[in-house]
Amino acid sequence: MILTFMDHDGTKLRKSALESVTRARKLAQTIGGEVVGLLVGPGAETVAQEAKKYVTKVYTVSGPDWQNYTAEKWALAAYAAAEAAGAKVVITPASRSGRSWSPRLAFKLNAALLEDTLDSWAEGEKVFASKYSFLNRVLEKQAASFPAVISVKPNTTPLAEPAGEGAVAALSVELGEVENKVEVLEKISESGGKVALTEAEVVVTGGRGMGSAEAFGMIEELADLLGGAVGATRAVIDAGWRPYGEQIGQTGKTVQPNVYFALALSGAVQHQAGMNKSKVVVAVNKDPDAPVFKESDYGVVGDIHQVLPVMIEEVKKLKNA
Amino acid sequence: MKYVAIIRQVPDGESKIKVDGGKVSLEGATLILDQMDEYAVEQIIRLKEAAGGEAVVVAFGPERTEEAMRTALAMGADRGVLITAEGYVDPITQAAALAKVLAEEAPDVVFSGGQQADWDSQALGPAVAEALGWPSVTWTTAFELDGASAKATHDLDEGAEVVKVALPAIFTAQQGLNEPRYPTLPGIMKAKKKEIKKIDAAELGVSASKVEILEQQIMELERQGKIIDGSKEPAAAAAELIRLLHEEAKVL
Ligand SMILES: Cc1cc2nc3c(=O)[nH]c(=O)nc-3n(C[C@H](O)[C@H](O)[C@H](O)COP(=O)(O)OP(=O)(O)OC[C@H]3O[C@@H](n4cnc5c(N)ncnc54)[C@H](O)[C@@H]3O)c2cc1C
Ligand SMILES: Nc1ncnc2c1ncn2[C@@H]1O[C@H](COP(=O)(O)O)[C@@H](O)[C@H]1O
Repeated sequence: MILTFMDHDGTKLRKSALESVTRARKLAQTIGGEVVGLLVGPGAETVAQEAKKYVTKVYTVSGPDWQNYTAEKWALAAYAAAEAAGAKVVITPASRSGRSWSPRLAFKLNAALLEDTLDSWAEGEKVFASKYSFLNRVLEKQAASFPAVISVKPNTTPLAEPAGEGAVAALSVELGEVENKVEVLEKISESGGKVALTEAEVVVTGGRGMGSAEAFGMIEELADLLGGAVGATRAVIDAGWRPYGEQIGQTGKTVQPNVYFALALSGAVQHQAGMNKSKVVVAVNKDPDAPVFKESDYGVVGDIHQVLPVMIEEVKKLKNA
Repeated sequence: MKYVAIIRQVPDGESKIKVDGGKVSLEGATLILDQMDEYAVEQIIRLKEAAGGEAVVVAFGPERTEEAMRTALAMGADRGVLITAEGYVDPITQAAALAKVLAEEAPDVVFSGGQQADWDSQALGPAVAEALGWPSVTWTTAFELDGASAKATHDLDEGAEVVKVALPAIFTAQQGLNEPRYPTLPGIMKAKKKEIKKIDAAELGVSASKVEILEQQIMELERQGKIIDGSKEPAAAAAELIRLLHEEAKVL
């Protein structure tokens, strides 16, 4: 059996759930067994109607104890479902939250953890995965025995198509001691941009060299013109110019767009870790020796306040042509 | 109170990476205290400075990890415990051994870095917490002690939240938690005399790694590096850039 955790927003599945199903089906072809799903938290029953089209059975865990996400609870729910299903593999999302509870689950199951994987497959009694390491600079292949917990790097796997009509089963899971030790006091929400950063085909990122929060008006304008999303460096977040959710890098988001604009940023290795898989990288920086130029396909050495307005005008001309 | 930071030694991200025989070779690389672990070390030192008690650093890794541990001691931690093992051992296996040491140390608060700069893993903190039956909070940006519990702000998939956590608990650090200090010269001198207790991983019952690294290859993409000098005529350079992106790269 393969258990796949299906992330949702209370009304519908998130994209990551369908990526996980694809991975689960691929493994099922070699190791056999069925693919079963798990939905946790408010709305699980509603979303089950959609989820059951992808798996032979969906477990739901919800109720008063399951209103707020905590790593302890989600790991416990996944453990209960994995036991109920007799799962040999559990597929989880390598989102920030997924990577927080998957290690707890792996420990509970005494399983190998294959983390943030790009792909996974099985041969005989072994399971394999590929992933990036060393700040996204190295591609490595890992091997482990079963049981295994595999977290799936977002936006790397094709989305599954519906394949039938599975069953729905509510799973009752009792909280233990540790699950009662974390109390959520307050949620600090952050409104996302018009285009989801991690899914954008164009990302326009500004760095400290932009000089002010106001100057990001130009960044927004270029992103809008190109149907892209706005990104920022840590220096910009620390200055309070942009919200945390726009940070790209080791400690922020990872993006892999068709074209990445690195504007007035130096190109620190921790920033590179979040964008170095972009197809085409374009830099503007006034310092010809800025490290970012070594990691770029195209670039202009110049003052951002003189270069960017003209870039915007030229793009407008292209759009109107 | 007792505070522990779990640390690792990793190659400096600025240094070039080499692959030798299908495996990353750290030979010649500058090895440092993981910069994300610096936030953890800084935090336990601050907690100790504010409320007294002891700040201890704990690590699982090869013998050379002692150098990174000395850095933490030079910053101000009191002593270290190093579980030694050569070669790759996955975080879940490491967690079982670290939990044994932590169970004995019985700290109130444990910090660790949010992501390791070599394995790009975020698993160690939560896995150790699970092994101990303790709660874990990842990507912590603000932390405050509050009697037998702690109040922490931490990043979620989108946005953030404030949680109240019963201690003992493990927190992983996010940038912004604090500004790590640099070791001072007297700090470095003192660190040389501080105790580092070494325990062989085998004594803690560590068997083989659950995960094996089969092969590694460098994935740095070749970039074209077509850089236009726009220092004299910025407008012309900007126009040329957009033309190239449209006509040559065909991305606009
Ligand atoms: C553990 C750790 C994790 C980190 N994680 C991240 C992360 O996830 N993401 C991240 O971004 N950073 C991260 N950092 C921080 C990173 O090391 C850099 O400090 C940061 O990326 C710098 O941001 P910047 O390039 O905007 O600023 P700077 O490095 O200050 O660069 C500004 C650039 O703008 C140029 N400039 C200035 N004025 C102009 C002008 N008028 N026109 C054109 N160019 C101009 C300058 O030449 C310079 O190159 C991390 C650091 C650590 C230690
Ligand atoms: N991120 C990593 N992923 C896979 N293997 C690694 C990683 N870091 C170190 N290793 C390997 O682990 C082995 C022992 O490394 P060391 O930490 O130097 O003892 C070497 O073969 C390294 O290449």
